[in-house]
Amino acid sequence: MVDNINQQRRSILKGAISASTLALVAASGLMLPQRLLAHWPKDSFNAETVEDALLALLGEAEVVEDSAVSFKVGTPPSYAVNGASVPIQVQSSLDNIERIAILVEKNPFPLAMSLDLTSAVKLPFKSMIKIREDSQVIAVIRAEGKLYKTSRFVEVDIGGCG
Amino acid sequence: MGLPSRDRLRAKLKKGDTTVRVLLSHPMHTGRAKNESEELISAEFIQDIRCWRNDDEILTIKCGTATARNPYFSFQLAGGELGDKILVRWVDNLGAKGLIETRVK
Repeated sequence: MVDNINQQRRSILKGAISASTLALVAASGLMLPQRLLAHWPKDSFNAETVEDALLALLGEAEVVEDSAVSFKVGTPPSYAVNGASVPIQVQSSLDNIERIAILVEKNPFPLAMSLDLTSAVKLPFKSMIKIREDSQVIAVIRAEGKLYKTSRFVEVDIGGCG
Repeated sequence: MGLPSRDRLRAKLKKGDTTVRVLLSHPMHTGRAKNESEELISAEFIQDIRCWRNDDEILTIKCGTATARNPYFSFQLAGGELGDKILVRWVDNLGAKGLIETRVK
């Protein structure tokens, strides 16, 4: 008799668990597109100066010019034939990096990209960006409440933001 | 839409860490360029890229218009094992979406 009741309890529990999991999965699946769009930080990406973009994206914090961040732009470094796709590479010895922002000073909208990292992600991070004209390219890393800033000047032959 | 996705995703195990490379196929129009008849091409660019490893969300990349055409990204993941599932999804400003997944090799 006891066995029988236990058996029933098992199956009821099982049913309840799978139902709630299903509901969760369905909810997350349906929510995703809106959530993704809603979370795009419009203020930072539409800011027209580096300072505004940084303030909107990373908040106020102490800015340190630091050698713990190494940052490469262009191949060979500091020069790009085609501004429409300039390779960049960010490397750092810092731990607990929360966010990385990459900005191009002379672009109409300086903020090029923003990364949110978890502890599972390690650098270097590589990508390609567009650069309109000769400009400073800035990488800012936020780690443990501080901002680490590094910049490189890049010469561009053909502007890439047309 | 309906065309087969031309996005590429590679994940490789190297010295105990996973190297992930993503190449998405997207025009990334900034909204400022003009076509042959001098009309502005309206903005169309990827805004949000998310990456999962085995159901854990590990990385979010937010892009502005200054990301190059056919965006390329490469990064490392600490640890990892052969056969780990890597999943990447993206959304652009018009709501177009893409999803691509692979196994670590």
